[in-house]
Amino acid sequence: MKTMTTLGSLLLAAAMLVALPVTTSAAETAGDPDAKCLKCHSKKLKKKLEDGETMFLQISAEDFGQSVHQVIGCTGCHRDVAKGKHPSRRPIANRREYSLKHNETCSQCHAAKYQAYEGSVHASLVAEGSPNAPVCSDCHSSHSIQEQSVYEPVSGEPCSSCHEAIYDAYAGSVHGQAREHGNVIREAHVQAPICSGCHQAHEVKAVAASDYLRDTCLDCHETAAVAHEEWLPNAGMHLKSVSCAACHSPMAERRVDLQLYDKLTRMPVGQGEGDAAIADRMREIDVSDDGLTPFELWKLVRASSREGGGTEVTLRGRMEVATGVEAHRLAPRIEAVRSCESCHEGGASAFQNVTVSISGSDGRKERFAADKRVLNSVVSVDSVGDFYAPGGTRIRVLDGLLVLALVGGLAVPAGHIALGKYLRKKSGKN
Amino acid sequence: MITAAMNRPHNRRKQEKIYLHPLPVRLWHWLNALGFVLLIVTGFQIRYMDLLGLMSFETAVRLHNWVGFVVIANWFLWFVYYLFSERVTNYHPDLDPKSFFRRYFRQAGYYSWGYFQGEERPHKVQPHDKFNPMQKLTYQFVMFISAPVTFLTGLMMWDVERFSGLIEIVGGLRVVNTVHVMMFILFVGFILVHAYMGFLGAKPSSHFKEMFTGYEEDHD
Repeated sequence: MKTMTTLGSLLLAAAMLVALPVTTSAAETAGDPDAKCLKCHSKKLKKKLEDGETMFLQISAEDFGQSVHQVIGCTGCHRDVAKGKHPSRRPIANRREYSLKHNETCSQCHAAKYQAYEGSVHASLVAEGSPNAPVCSDCHSSHSIQEQSVYEPVSGEPCSSCHEAIYDAYAGSVHGQAREHGNVIREAHVQAPICSGCHQAHEVKAVAASDYLRDTCLDCHETAAVAHEEWLPNAGMHLKSVSCAACHSPMAERRVDLQLYDKLTRMPVGQGEGDAAIADRMREIDVSDDGLTPFELWKLVRASSREGGGTEVTLRGRMEVATGVEAHRLAPRIEAVRSCESCHEGGASAFQNVTVSISGSDGRKERFAADKRVLNSVVSVDSVGDFYAPGGTRIRVLDGLLVLALVGGLAVPAGHIALGKYLRKKSGKN
Repeated sequence: MITAAMNRPHNRRKQEKIYLHPLPVRLWHWLNALGFVLLIVTGFQIRYMDLLGLMSFETAVRLHNWVGFVVIANWFLWFVYYLFSERVTNYHPDLDPKSFFRRYFRQAGYYSWGYFQGEERPHKVQPHDKFNPMQKLTYQFVMFISAPVTFLTGLMMWDVERFSGLIEIVGGLRVVNTVHVMMFILFVGFILVHAYMGFLGAKPSSHFKEMFTGYEEDHD
């Protein structure tokens, strides 16, 4: 009996020894399922994609452990794995396709953010098939997703990884400098914006397209409109027709953009539908491709109005800086352009560069070159009816009429005096 | 020219003076003259910053706006005065165009021939009919069309936002400015000729004196 008991004990102990690792492994899997994933994915795994590239599948356990997604674990996003269908053998066409697929995964939890993203210029570019337009993981990374506060510092990440030149301009601007020096502007503590402060984090806008950016500026600079009214005649119109950066980025090259605009719907012409047709018409009219002349522009406006039926097209002018980089090089207020002459003098540099633009549905503009004479031609009185800067864009024909009036006004007295002298001379002879 | 004018027969007659220009009209006239000169000078400065350097653009715009309001108010002084004055007949249109234009061309002929011959003026000046046909047509156009159109377009450009609806109705800011500048051009020509015509009285100073005293220096 004792022998049997001893044998039984030994067998039980042996059984326990054999069973122990199994029991531990099950507990580990049940308590920390990610460990099972990381068991393989912490190694240098890679997968051959269908386009021939190699995708590395190694995940840094440390990075993922610090990610905000650590709480939902691997299967929070890789749900197919959770269903026991590990996708290791499933072919992946290319890295982009895989990222796009996971964009949808993000949307399942972050529906509002994803909806905002879908209205962004980034999403439009993605839809157009741009290989470089960012998807969720391009900005947030795949496995090292951080809290919002991590994006706050002035590193410019993630925007600067694509928009480096623009970020450099921002970093040197009054906003970037304030941010770097503890958000102190003119000895006051203010929250200077980072990229998303003006452009939004997800619903990233093509800011030059509308009044959006001006309103964004005025959101923070609440007293700016009133401050402009104190010294600037027609301040409201200036704020509408001149982008903030045109004066507050004083070294920037400027241009006038004439946007095709429907007076009846009060919307930019194009906006998705029909913009391609108008762009084609523009190319047809400007056959020589040397920029739209005043007459060509007039023809374009007429043709666009006629074809649309219920449309009344005009060109809405706006002065802006020539590049996005310069738009971000905002200077301290004291350095802003305040001289009226910089625009209102005949031949001002601001009016030497003119474009005509059509707005896409996402607000991005397709620009076409225009002859600078469109701003000074009498032919443009109707077509460029809404943009006029006294002096700077004066109509040359009227200069000729003024000379005629001056000459005529002096010729009448001179002629009358001469006539009197002639008649007296004549009567004296008689 | 001056000698011929002085030799006119009526100049040698001593006649009773007619009260042609009541005080409100004289005040209006000289304020208007000063205002228009300032508006033209500042208008030139605004439009030709690259050619003129009398003042800064900002100063020119501010002065132009202020003077513009004074001239508009002054126009209403003129308008209200004539509205309630029996002298409004000076601006009444002639209902017989054939007769009017016959007299119009007779007056033009006088300026280009008869004036130098010392002939009597074809138009007899009266307090209620002080303008000859050429003056009447010109002043009707200036006071009832040019001036109001200039004021209205000037107002629209003074505050583009406030008048944006009206600006849109008339075809845009560029249309408004073009009309304003065309009126400016007309006024430049008008002022030069008007000032010269002022010298064509019995004496070169006669019409100017009339506009200060109110009494005609000489009448036919």
